[in-house]
Amino acid sequence: MSLRIETIRECLEGIIPGHIATCDREGMPNLAYLSQVEFIDNEHVALSYQFFNRTRQNVLADSPVRLLLTSHLTGAQYRLTLHYLRTEAAGPLFERMRAKLAGIASHTGMSGIFQLLGADIYRVLNIEQVPGETVPPPPPPVNCLNALRRTADRLATCNTLECLLEKAVDCLENEFGIAHLMLLMHDKARGRLYTLASRGYPESGIGSEIPVGAGVIGICARERTPIRISFTNSEYAYGRTVRDGIAADGQADALETAIPLPGLPDAASQMAVPISVAGRLLGVLYVESVSDLHFGYDEEDALVAFAAQLGLAIVHHQQADDLPDEPAGNEEAAPAVAGTPLTIRHFAATDSVFIDDDYLIKGVAGAILWVLLSDFAERRRTSFTNKGLRVDPRIRLPGVSDNLEARLVLLQRRLEERDAGIRLTKTGRGRFSLAVDHPLQLVES
Amino acid sequence: MLDSDHATFIQTGVSISLAACSADRLPCMSRGLGCKLIDGGRQVAIFIKRSQSTELLENIRNTGRVANVFNLPSSNRTVQLKGVDAQIQPFDPADLPVIESHVSLFLDEVIPFGMQENMIRALFACTVDDLVTVVYSPSAAFTQTPGPKAGDPLGAAP
Repeated sequence: MSLRIETIRECLEGIIPGHIATCDREGMPNLAYLSQVEFIDNEHVALSYQFFNRTRQNVLADSPVRLLLTSHLTGAQYRLTLHYLRTEAAGPLFERMRAKLAGIASHTGMSGIFQLLGADIYRVLNIEQVPGETVPPPPPPVNCLNALRRTADRLATCNTLECLLEKAVDCLENEFGIAHLMLLMHDKARGRLYTLASRGYPESGIGSEIPVGAGVIGICARERTPIRISFTNSEYAYGRTVRDGIAADGQADALETAIPLPGLPDAASQMAVPISVAGRLLGVLYVESVSDLHFGYDEEDALVAFAAQLGLAIVHHQQADDLPDEPAGNEEAAPAVAGTPLTIRHFAATDSVFIDDDYLIKGVAGAILWVLLSDFAERRRTSFTNKGLRVDPRIRLPGVSDNLEARLVLLQRRLEERDAGIRLTKTGRGRFSLAVDHPLQLVES
Repeated sequence: MLDSDHATFIQTGVSISLAACSADRLPCMSRGLGCKLIDGGRQVAIFIKRSQSTELLENIRNTGRVANVFNLPSSNRTVQLKGVDAQIQPFDPADLPVIESHVSLFLDEVIPFGMQENMIRALFACTVDDLVTVVYSPSAAFTQTPGPKAGDPLGAAP
């Protein structure tokens, strides 16, 4: 093959729609426009199957297939010769294409008409460039490879999970120039993703939740595949999908809805990338923009590589925090405080914690806080270890993949945001202290 | 074969593509630079670049069968014509204004979508001695505008 398809991927975005030519058994040619070509690897692409039309009939009748693709950046044209292999009607590739098609359909006024029936997978047999004049491509807004290198350098300097998370979102903002982003962690036991960090929104939304399977973020988590949408569309709009997720959720363990989700109401470009390590989903990285076509294949590649490194680093820091770096010393009792007491209310069914009737947190992080405050109230205890929490029967951590350290970061950040006079401070590897500025009144409901 | 509405449509700022197949069914296509109607619409002439169309022209010479698609970017309206008597004719320089007009109308269509004019002009850049005209009588016509009627014939074959 003279050309590698990875080097002409901008042609697959469909900004100038591609053409597909086939031939029937009698030798009559047929031409059609393509909605979508999805890059799989250098030997394979997938085309969207939406209608049972002449093209599909010809393909199923063993027609050789030719595409004509055009770069919107240079005007270069390429002819590809393809061989049909199979159709997938579910799974990561299908969901990736379905989400992308929803954006394309919306952009071209075809919502409700373009419905993906399948992802037709083809082997690429040949790519030839069509002779003709071209123009030089404009420089890309960001050099993704360099941004990735600089990010890798900066993440390597972190020695705590908090530092890692902070620097990760910082790099996305400053090195990649992404103005709106969220980092969500996976709560496997509850089938949720909870927001641990964000940038670019009026409210951080830390602690807000999205069900696995709902919207761009939830589908990315369920299918463990990047989802990238280039145009505004209602089908994957943020609020709606989450509301739908809540409706389908049942009442036993309702989503955390007291904390509003961050997110742009009018995002045109959206991309969600899974953070996985050794087959285990840790979370999802989500970025968005009000501009069309803001994220391309290069950004997707870079963030997938970034997420791989971030995932390994998260696991490393969580494991490091599991081993306290020094033996527990004598616990210092907290000094007595005076003033108006804080009323801390705990609802055992959901482990929800309210401070003076204001919702703070629920779930595992809520259970942890309740244990910390109970020990503080009973024994004036202020020093704790991650390892101690992990084996504490009152917390009921859901197994080894509990992301305890991430939940502690979540709790720490929620307390900081709430600014109620309760603080968690890391005091060493796997060790932290609790500070409370007011007398506490604990109420179990 | 073509009513006046479709005859007008294919001569606006549409994207044009022409395909033909080899004896072993391998299709090949090229971008058209414009078109005109001959003999009151009984024949369609498409202008293409010879340097881009070696295989396509060989297929046309061997089979005479062509598929020709016209798509208007702003409305998604799409029409496909087919013919079985396609012939390759020398380009008549008198048709150059047809190409110039087509490029201008096409630019009006795609610039609102954010296309760069210099890129589009490069896509259509040509020299007279590299041009060739493919002429055929449409024997079948189909709507391909996305939707429930996509693929329906526009009218009965003659």
